[in-house]
Amino acid sequence: MEVLKIVGLGITICILLVVVKQVKPELSVAILIAGSCVMMIVILKYFTNLFSIFDVIIEKTGIDSELFSCILKIIGIGYLIEFSAGVCSDTGNSSIADKVVLGGKILIFIVAMPIITNLLDIVIGLIP
Amino acid sequence: MGVDIILKIAAIGILTAVVNQVLKYAGKDEIATLSTLAGVVIVLLMVIDMISDLFNTVQKLFTF
Repeated sequence: MEVLKIVGLGITICILLVVVKQVKPELSVAILIAGSCVMMIVILKYFTNLFSIFDVIIEKTGIDSELFSCILKIIGIGYLIEFSAGVCSDTGNSSIADKVVLGGKILIFIVAMPIITNLLDIVIGLIP
Repeated sequence: MGVDIILKIAAIGILTAVVNQVLKYAGKDEIATLSTLAGVVIVLLMVIDMISDLFNTVQKLFTF
């Protein structure tokens, strides 16, 4: 049932884009950004119950919650990067989209560094 | 928060186009360009408001 909402929203945005592109081309970019913004917010709602399940898993397995916050940050960065890269490539300039994606990758790598150092400590601990 | 905002923006876009045409036929070309500019600015302000809304929810949700 929830799928219909997302599909309907996407299709109406596309139709509106086509209509407004003939009447006023510069506003089509604004509608594109606003539409993808609304889609992202609608999708964000499904994340909340997903995270509650994650919290239950975290308590059961006893994983360090600092790692989990790193994972959350990475998901958030990926989420925003996907949003802005999509808007950039839709307005026609894919080079800017690639730069946004590159920046996102580097940021994700920086955020993931603690996890990697954590892993290295564990591995070094195993070696006698 | 949904389709209504996008429909509102589309309506503003079409309305500015119509106002532009009417003013152009009435001979007031400079006011026509100003009305188009005003329409675009209004729409951009609404879009900026939505983007800040999105970033706030993402920041709150993913505990940045």
